[in-house]
Amino acid sequence: MGRWMKCFLVLCTQHLTYISPAMPMPGIPGYDPLTPTSTQQQAIVFVDSISELSPSIYWPGIKPALFLQNVKTNVHEPLSIYPGRGTNFCGYGALTYLFLQDDPLGYARLLFQLYREGKASYRNTFFNPSLEVESAAGTLRSKGILDIHPAEQMWFLCLADHFKGYLNFFHRTYHPGDEDSFWAAVNYAKFNRMVRQLLHYKVNARGSDLFRPAVGNTVDYITKKMKEGIVVLYVNNRILHKKKLEKIKLQIPTHYVILESIANVNDTVTLIYWDYGSKTLRQIKSGFLNKIIFGISCCTKKETHEE
Amino acid sequence: MRNKYPSQLVFLLSLTLLLHSCSGIKITSRYYFEHEKVLDQVESSYRTLYKDKPFSLAFTDKLFRTLSMEIITDSLTYIYEFNLNEKRMNDTAAKYHIDTAGLNRLVGYMRSIHCTWVNTFDYYVDDSKRMLIFISVKPVMTQDVLSYKKYYILTYYTQPQHFDPQGRLLDKRKLRRIRKINGEIFYRINDKVCYTISGQFR
Repeated sequence: MGRWMKCFLVLCTQHLTYISPAMPMPGIPGYDPLTPTSTQQQAIVFVDSISELSPSIYWPGIKPALFLQNVKTNVHEPLSIYPGRGTNFCGYGALTYLFLQDDPLGYARLLFQLYREGKASYRNTFFNPSLEVESAAGTLRSKGILDIHPAEQMWFLCLADHFKGYLNFFHRTYHPGDEDSFWAAVNYAKFNRMVRQLLHYKVNARGSDLFRPAVGNTVDYITKKMKEGIVVLYVNNRILHKKKLEKIKLQIPTHYVILESIANVNDTVTLIYWDYGSKTLRQIKSGFLNKIIFGISCCTKKETHEE
Repeated sequence: MRNKYPSQLVFLLSLTLLLHSCSGIKITSRYYFEHEKVLDQVESSYRTLYKDKPFSLAFTDKLFRTLSMEIITDSLTYIYEFNLNEKRMNDTAAKYHIDTAGLNRLVGYMRSIHCTWVNTFDYYVDDSKRMLIFISVKPVMTQDVLSYKKYYILTYYTQPQHFDPQGRLLDKRKLRRIRKINGEIFYRINDKVCYTISGQFR
C-alpha cells in the first residue's frame, strides 16, 4: 500500500468519526462540569432508597420492577454489565464499566432521569433518544441475560442513538434488529471520544481501526499503561473467539475488553480481562497477542478543572 | 450456428444445477435423522458433564485436533487450548472436577461427526431463565463447497417449543414472534430440537 494511501486511511479512521459530535448543553438543568466522582456506597444508598417505580410513558416496553432491579444489580455488582449475545454493544459495555468504576452514583441518577423524563444530561452530554429507541428498549430478545435487563437495553440503545462514527454513516436511524448491525458499531476513535466526552477520564490512545499500534514490546507497553490507569484493548475477536474454521481471516478489530492484568512468562502471556459480564483468564503466545491488538486506550482520571 | 445455442443452454443449465447443489440449502432436518444417535449422545453426555461443572468445548482447527475449553467458575472463566490427546487436558479437567472419562467420550463423539462447538445458552420466557444446548457441526458434504453457510446448528430444549405453520421457532405461542438465536431463524425437527444453517459456528 502506498504511503499516501496509508496516510489517507489513518486520517479516515482517526478523524472521520467526528461527523456528529454530541451536543454540548451547558444550559441544561443538572449540568455540572465539576460533578464529583462518587463511590459505590453512595450509589447503593441512592438506589436502595428507591423501592418502587411507576411505568414510564417514554419507555412502553420497560417493566418498572425489572428496570429498578437491573439498576440495583449494576450498582451492587458493576462487573455484571452484559452487552448481550450477538449484539454490537461491546463498546458501550466497556464504556459503562468505566462509568461504574468512576461515578456509579452519576450512572444511577442518569438512568433514572432517562427513565422518568425520557431525556437526560450528564456532564456536557444531553441524551434525547429517538422514538424508535424508546419503543425498542425492553423488548430485545434472545440476547442472554440482557433480555431481562431493560435498564441496560435502554442505556446501550441511547448511547448508540446519540454517538455516531463513520461506521454508522449509512445506519443513522434505529430499525428493529439494528442492535446487531452497523447502527450499533463502535469504531476506535468513536470509543475514545465517548469516554473523553461522557466520562471524567483522559484517554491516551494508540492504534486505529486498520493498523496495529506501533508501541514496541506490546506487553511492556501495556504493563506500563496499567500502572497509570484503566486499560481498554480493542481486539480482533474473530481470532480471539473463533467463529469459523477458515484459514483466511479478516484482520479487523471488532471487540473491546477491559484489561485486569497481564503477565509474560517464557513467551506465554496470561491475560485477565473483563467482557460480557464476567472476567476471563486466558493464556496466549506474545506473537498472537500482537496479532489481535489494534488499539490500547489508557484511561486516567481528569483533574477537577479539566473538561 | 444452429447447434451453438443448445450447447450453451446445456452448459448454463449444468452450471445452474451445479451452483444449486452448492447452495447448502440441501442440509436440512434430514441431516439430524441421519446422525441422530451421535448428535443425541453429544447432547446427553454434555448435559451430564455440565451439571457438575459449567464448561464449553470447541474445535478450533479444520483437522479437529485443537480443542478450546472454557471452564466457568464463580470468579473467572478460564479458556484453555489443548492438542488432542495432550495429557494436560485430562489434568485440567480433573483439577476442575470434570469426569475425564466422560469428557474424552464427549470429545470422541464430537470429533466423529465434526462437531465444532457445544455450549449452553440461556433464554427467558416470562422473565424466567431457561437453558438450551447449542451444538454446531461442520458436515462433511461436497455440496456446500461454495456456500457461505457451512455450519449445521442444533438447539436442544428441555421443554416443548412453539412453532408457526412453516415450522419456524417462536418466542411464545401467543406472541407469534420468531425467536432468533445469534441472528438465525431456527426450524422444527421435533418439539424439543430445532436446526438452522449458519455462516459461523458460534
